[in-house]
Amino acid sequence: MANNILNKIVQILNDLDIKTYQINETREESVELFFIKKALDSRRSKDVTKYMVNVFRDFMDGDTKMRGSSSANIYNTMTEEEMTEAIKDAYFAASFVKNPFYELPSGKKEEKVFHQSSLAKETLESAATRMTKALFKEDNGKESFLNSAELFVVKVDKHIINSEGIDVSYDKYKVTGEFVVQCLAPEDVETYQDFSYDELDMESLEKKVKDTLDMTTARANATSSAKAGDYKVILSGKYVRDFLSYYASKSSANMIYPKYSDYAVGQMVQGDHIEGEALNINLVASEPYNDEGITFVNRPLLEDGVLKNLHGSLRFSRYLSIEPVGYYEDIEVKEGTVSFEEMKKGQYLHIVNFSDFQVDDLTGYFGGEIRLAFYCDGNTMIPVTGGSISGNISEASGMLTLSKELQKEKGYEGPYALSIQKVTIAQ
Amino acid sequence: MKKELSKYLQEVKPSLKVLLNELLKEYTYVSILASDSKGKTYNVSRSGTTISVNSMTNERGFVVRVYDGTGYSEYSFNEINESLIPKIVETIKNDLVPLRGKLTNIVTETKYEKLEEEEIKFSKSSEYEVDPSELGDKEIVEVLTEISEKARLVDERIIDCRVHFEYLHLSKIFLSEKKDLEQSILWSNGMEMPMARKDAEVKYTYKTFSVQGGAELLDQMKHGVEDAVKVTLELLDSTPITPGEYDVICDPDVTGLIAHEAFGHGVEMDMFVKDRALASKYIDKEVASSLVTMHDGASAAAQTGSFYFDDEGSLAKDTIIIDKGILKQGICDSQAAMYLGTKPTGNGRRQNYERKAYTRMTNTFFETGTNTVEEMISSIDYGFFLENSMNGMEDPKNWGIQCMVNIAREIKGGRFTGKVFSPVVLTGYVPDLLKSISMVSTDMELSGTGFCGKGYKEWVKVSTGGPAIKARVKLG
Repeated sequence: MANNILNKIVQILNDLDIKTYQINETREESVELFFIKKALDSRRSKDVTKYMVNVFRDFMDGDTKMRGSSSANIYNTMTEEEMTEAIKDAYFAASFVKNPFYELPSGKKEEKVFHQSSLAKETLESAATRMTKALFKEDNGKESFLNSAELFVVKVDKHIINSEGIDVSYDKYKVTGEFVVQCLAPEDVETYQDFSYDELDMESLEKKVKDTLDMTTARANATSSAKAGDYKVILSGKYVRDFLSYYASKSSANMIYPKYSDYAVGQMVQGDHIEGEALNINLVASEPYNDEGITFVNRPLLEDGVLKNLHGSLRFSRYLSIEPVGYYEDIEVKEGTVSFEEMKKGQYLHIVNFSDFQVDDLTGYFGGEIRLAFYCDGNTMIPVTGGSISGNISEASGMLTLSKELQKEKGYEGPYALSIQKVTIAQ
Repeated sequence: MKKELSKYLQEVKPSLKVLLNELLKEYTYVSILASDSKGKTYNVSRSGTTISVNSMTNERGFVVRVYDGTGYSEYSFNEINESLIPKIVETIKNDLVPLRGKLTNIVTETKYEKLEEEEIKFSKSSEYEVDPSELGDKEIVEVLTEISEKARLVDERIIDCRVHFEYLHLSKIFLSEKKDLEQSILWSNGMEMPMARKDAEVKYTYKTFSVQGGAELLDQMKHGVEDAVKVTLELLDSTPITPGEYDVICDPDVTGLIAHEAFGHGVEMDMFVKDRALASKYIDKEVASSLVTMHDGASAAAQTGSFYFDDEGSLAKDTIIIDKGILKQGICDSQAAMYLGTKPTGNGRRQNYERKAYTRMTNTFFETGTNTVEEMISSIDYGFFLENSMNGMEDPKNWGIQCMVNIAREIKGGRFTGKVFSPVVLTGYVPDLLKSISMVSTDMELSGTGFCGKGYKEWVKVSTGGPAIKARVKLG
């Protein structure tokens, strides 16, 4: 059925004399489980196939060659007449999209890439059962317990073709979800966590649950808050990813072409005087191809703080005359030079949980309200809660210290912790 | 004018009724939600123009819910014809419902009653003045381009002005043994976002526009960008605020953010089920100043959070959450209502047919008061006027609040000093903030440009707003 629709779309494009196009076919199957405490509250499954057709239209605007584009959703329940109408409408719209000309990537038919993972060897139901077991393994009803959880096991099949010969396909399995841990006493508090694995990684999920149970118990015992002032702040866990992903975002053609970012290859992006550690970051291919059918491979982004490569969507990459390599979200960061224990010498505030940690990629502003932190005055460490952190990455860039210890988080592999000098804490 | 229900849904309805009747042979409760929503998104900026479809809101598909005597299961799919119906029934019967049996050694199962419904049938549509699909892409892009170019010409420090317009015509059918509901709704929204640079620093603001309606919104957008540019340029000279507790006046946009984040999420009753919301312990207790009356409801306003029935077939309502400072009730989806032994309030919403329904807000706002904004400003000895909400995060468990606001204008002796601070984080304990509200303005605005997430996912269209309020808050 799926191939019939794809063939039908190509036929309609040919009939309409639309010469430049890209079609993305996506089938998504899932098993979804929803728990309240240690009980299954509801279950869902999904089997959905969708098509996104991008059409491109070339025209002249004065002496400038332009390439407009627009898109249409195509569903397998559409009649041929409806499909034709949707594609015709998108092609008409493309004539009002006055963007300078850029070339689509070209390629050929490639063998389908199958996800080599332990998840791919299981049925979705079986993987969901095993990950449920992992989710609840450490939930033994002590001080902290799982309040609620959601678990999604998903298989995605993608097929991308374009008018320039690209014809690639792959599948991908994922286990994603979230859980909330609650601790009733001395204070009734909770911690939210999400997770995402490409493998049937029961061990990592068990550890994540255990760490969150421990963290929530610590938060329940945190009664005071850190005084307002400037601190050496240590971030750990997923907040390290949120902070360091800023550099990948600022290095994208999507930010540089419109001048939202002034990054350039060869530039020391951490400033001219780095008092802390110079960053080494790689862009990581999370899937075999991006949505434009471009092959994803790992690429160096920063070497000793110097920008080595840009990345980004096809159009902006073409405009900047750089190789179109796709837009990367996943990063890998080289370990730091100090151990986590060394990092915690002297006075510091180690923030392990925010209500929400925000980084504004345009301005570099970062901030969030502290749910749980450990304050050390140089001798004694106490859990604290409340207050908020604020700063700017461009100002903090030259004063970062990274831990030797590594971690794997969603879209991130690298130091477990980073410290920043002189960060303002408000009450 | 009224927007007609999707032709496709009208055509597929007989097949859905066949599926419903087949499933009713197996299960005591069955419902089917069918969606066919179509719209376009337009973006114009210095870097170019895009016309695309929003894959989060554009949808065509179905979700079936069945009750097996113990609990509820759902199957989402997007292909149906009479020959596929036996396969859909088999998938639900043989794969989905038995799934719970595989988990019995690990977890138990929550026991629910059968969802009881009243017999009802209707077909309703929203009003609009200008259909964006009839106005056409050319006209829309021209208006947006004119706005973007006008903003960029004001000052050389303006590096760009992103202008966005989006509309969605959503069509939905809900079928169960007792319900046969149809709705057709058109909403539109827009945003103007000038960006300015000074050395390496980039600052931006945005102005938003929304309507339950169509491209008539473009007329409003044509007259809004100058103010947004002026404010963006002011931000280039802004400085960080000295952290502390201050008297503030929140503009309707920031009031809306507070209503939504501070209290709206806290009264989503699926959180009561999980014992994750402090509000469950405060029903009929004082939680705010007596000047505060707060609503949520799809029928409480005509905005982007409005509809006639929710994604579980519950009818739209106007729920008074806080009445003159007293917490009266929360908002509820049907499954949470069954668990809690209460009635659903028409707040069971899905991101789309592919996702689960949760308790979600719709149009959330505070009622107006009796003060003018001028009176409110002149009443402040030292404080700030807060504008341009950026984002916020809920904390139903502990009633903490964290909202990021782009602009804090300094007020001294009842007058603006001209000094601007940015950005500021508003934090505190929700009842402290709501009880500190001492003045409320006579006029109100609702804005429905954004999407609301449940945690970090499940995005649904909502509107928020209210009057200007005077309160005492912590800023950092």
